[in-house]
Amino acid sequence: MPTKLKEKELSFSQAWQRYGTLGILVLLLVILAVLRPSFFFKTSTITQILSQSSVNILIALGEFFAILIAGIDLSVGSVVALSGMFMAKLMVSGTAPIVAVLLGIFMGALLGFINGILVNSTGLHPFIITLGTQAIFRGVTLIISDSSAVFGFPASFSRFMAQRILYVPVAAIIAIAAALILAFLTRQTKLGRNIYALGGNRESAWYSGINIKLHTLIVFVISGICAGIAGVVLLGRVGSAEPAAATGFETYAIAAAIIGGTSFFGGKGKIFGVVMGGLIIGVINFGMNLLSVSSTLQQVVMGALIIGSVTLDRFVAGRK
Amino acid sequence: MKNVVKKFPGVTALNGISFDIRPGEVHVLLGENGAGKSTLMKILSGVHKPTSGEIIIDGKAFSHLTPHDSYKNGISVIYQELSVINELSIGENLFIGRLPTKKLGPFETVDHSEINRRAKEILKTVGLNRDPKTAVEELSISEKQQVEIAKALAADSKVIIMDEPTASLTNSEVDSLFKIIRRLKKDGKGIVFISHKLGEIMEIGDRVTVLKDGGYVGTKNISDITQDDLVTMMVGRQISKNYQHDTLSFENEPVIFEVMNLSRKDNKVRDVSFKLHKGEILGFSGLVGSGRSEMMNAIFGAQPKSSGRIFIDGEEIKTSSPYSAIKNGLAMVTENRRETGFFHNFDIAENISVLPFVKNSGAGGISGLVNRKDEARWADEQRERLNIKCYSPKQLVSELSGGNQQKVILGKWLAADSKIIIFDEPTKGIDVGSKSEIYSLMRRLADEGKGVLVVSSELPELLSVCDTIAVFREGKIVKTFSHREATEENIIHASTAQESEEA
Repeated sequence: MPTKLKEKELSFSQAWQRYGTLGILVLLLVILAVLRPSFFFKTSTITQILSQSSVNILIALGEFFAILIAGIDLSVGSVVALSGMFMAKLMVSGTAPIVAVLLGIFMGALLGFINGILVNSTGLHPFIITLGTQAIFRGVTLIISDSSAVFGFPASFSRFMAQRILYVPVAAIIAIAAALILAFLTRQTKLGRNIYALGGNRESAWYSGINIKLHTLIVFVISGICAGIAGVVLLGRVGSAEPAAATGFETYAIAAAIIGGTSFFGGKGKIFGVVMGGLIIGVINFGMNLLSVSSTLQQVVMGALIIGSVTLDRFVAGRK
Repeated sequence: MKNVVKKFPGVTALNGISFDIRPGEVHVLLGENGAGKSTLMKILSGVHKPTSGEIIIDGKAFSHLTPHDSYKNGISVIYQELSVINELSIGENLFIGRLPTKKLGPFETVDHSEINRRAKEILKTVGLNRDPKTAVEELSISEKQQVEIAKALAADSKVIIMDEPTASLTNSEVDSLFKIIRRLKKDGKGIVFISHKLGEIMEIGDRVTVLKDGGYVGTKNISDITQDDLVTMMVGRQISKNYQHDTLSFENEPVIFEVMNLSRKDNKVRDVSFKLHKGEILGFSGLVGSGRSEMMNAIFGAQPKSSGRIFIDGEEIKTSSPYSAIKNGLAMVTENRRETGFFHNFDIAENISVLPFVKNSGAGGISGLVNRKDEARWADEQRERLNIKCYSPKQLVSELSGGNQQKVILGKWLAADSKIIIFDEPTKGIDVGSKSEIYSLMRRLADEGKGVLVVSSELPELLSVCDTIAVFREGKIVKTFSHREATEENIIHASTAQESEEA
């Protein structure tokens, strides 16, 4: 029966959409295990990959929403730096770490709010707005830090961030928690459904009673919050706030979202895919360090892998 | 053109049409939407290939024309959506594709002084007092149209086809267009003039050919006929089944929906008021652009209104956005459903549940959780009600046939269970078989006490479904007929008659 056949083909492409990125991740891990078995089969390896991927995954989770509404957020790297710097300044001036962290995340939300307001009020594409705010936020970071690094955080903060629970670093737990909350948001809330609708067809969304500006604003605030949390994790990992921190991180965040199957045209993508995309990038980075690929060559390999994986995805998805 | 037939898969768009154009005449092409005027025009311009028949230009016979043949043999088409290039100058627009060139060393460059010299001459013929170097984007619509005519002249066209050239012109602009057309006639050009406005046709036309449902009705000399004759030629198709309750009168029924003094800033809707009684289906007729859909968009809050009050069951409601309209019990099945009704990334159930989810949520539509049981139930209800053919509500809408997609979108609006439902071209894109299902559905909704408003360009549809038909012209309701008084003749007359002859 023809309908039967159609169902079967559909399930194949759906299976790829659901598990394709997981497949790539497993494949990469297998390659690594074969090439460097002695290093690979150690718990510290997993810990290291998780810890290194957390910042990127956190940023990518926010970036995912910006891409989901057929937009983009190029300012995330600068938001990480500015909210991190703000937090660091607060901590070294004696604010309790927990208060500093919350205010830092709030700063991320505020910067995202500014992005959202600018996109809504000018009607310009988010690419242009966030290209501008990327420079502005970075500039403000340089101004408030007087272009120098801030360090010497309270021991309680550094100790907390360096903790591991069952070999899982705190950074990874934060990223996983954020992913779970956002997965709930996308799958189970009307807000999430509306954001997909907005990304799929703006005009239809408007006629269906979806408040486009409100949802756009929320999306940029989510992106800002995620970048703010990434700022916290980065401070914990590096132990200092650098004015040039997270420069270019938006590229990796966009790559993680796209590798994870998020459509650049909006309306399609899943949080699970973004996490997989972030892990794939993490594993590639880790693997290249393990295989002592020079850092300059790493850039080339990373770029090629981004193009390659997305092409492969389109190719397989296009087979139906 | 002789015996031209054009078949599209499943439809015969033109059925043996013969049509001739003499030098120095204005030949009017008249017919309702879907009569085959555009198809005929597209065959002449080489966009479509006729299924059979021949086209004879100056004694040379063609089985079909390519766009190049059409252009080379002196046929120019001025579409309603003008095709001038805004970024270029007037002169460049006139000669685009064959710009005069000059040698500059080893390079061949565009000869701007030659362009301007030749453009000036042509602009004089069409009466456009502008420097050829002016960018086209600075021009008004009527000036752009003059540039289009000038472009046809620059190509040395013998036949110029104008598709509803007066649709977006003011009265004085129409007068100057007619002056240009008379000058072109004197120069021996043949003009094909497509318009719905009968008054204009009587003024400028020499002969008229009427098409109906792809068939040829007849060709007449304008001097031999009256406006009423034209209307009779355009209509007169057999009347289909009726869905009205003949015994009912709505005068004594309560008013469930009322619009008072609605206007739009862009003047597309001017001071419109109407009432809808319980059980009544109110239809809106009029030409495209006469303000019907524009009014509905304003009522629904999708486009801004400058003034006006809206009442449901006697209580005033505010519709500043579709969200507030939906919340207050309105729904609108939009005309361009693919663009404004449809989520290609959603499955059937998700598409249908967008509306009820938004309607039942607070805080601007953002609060609340997705209830998959409700979602499945809504989808099943609409699937059954509208007979949507699919193997599962989890199927992506992009995999459905066009007609089924339309039904999903209808289902989306019905699922909101709104008090007042606006249907803008309810059966557009829906096959003949399903049309009657939708008409019965509309009647059932009205009988259940819902308010049903219908905008349609298909007169037979309005006549067989609506209890009352309001006719729009130039942003106003000019006439309201009960379905007993309404005929295709008097509706067309009301929607096309010119202001002057009403007095």
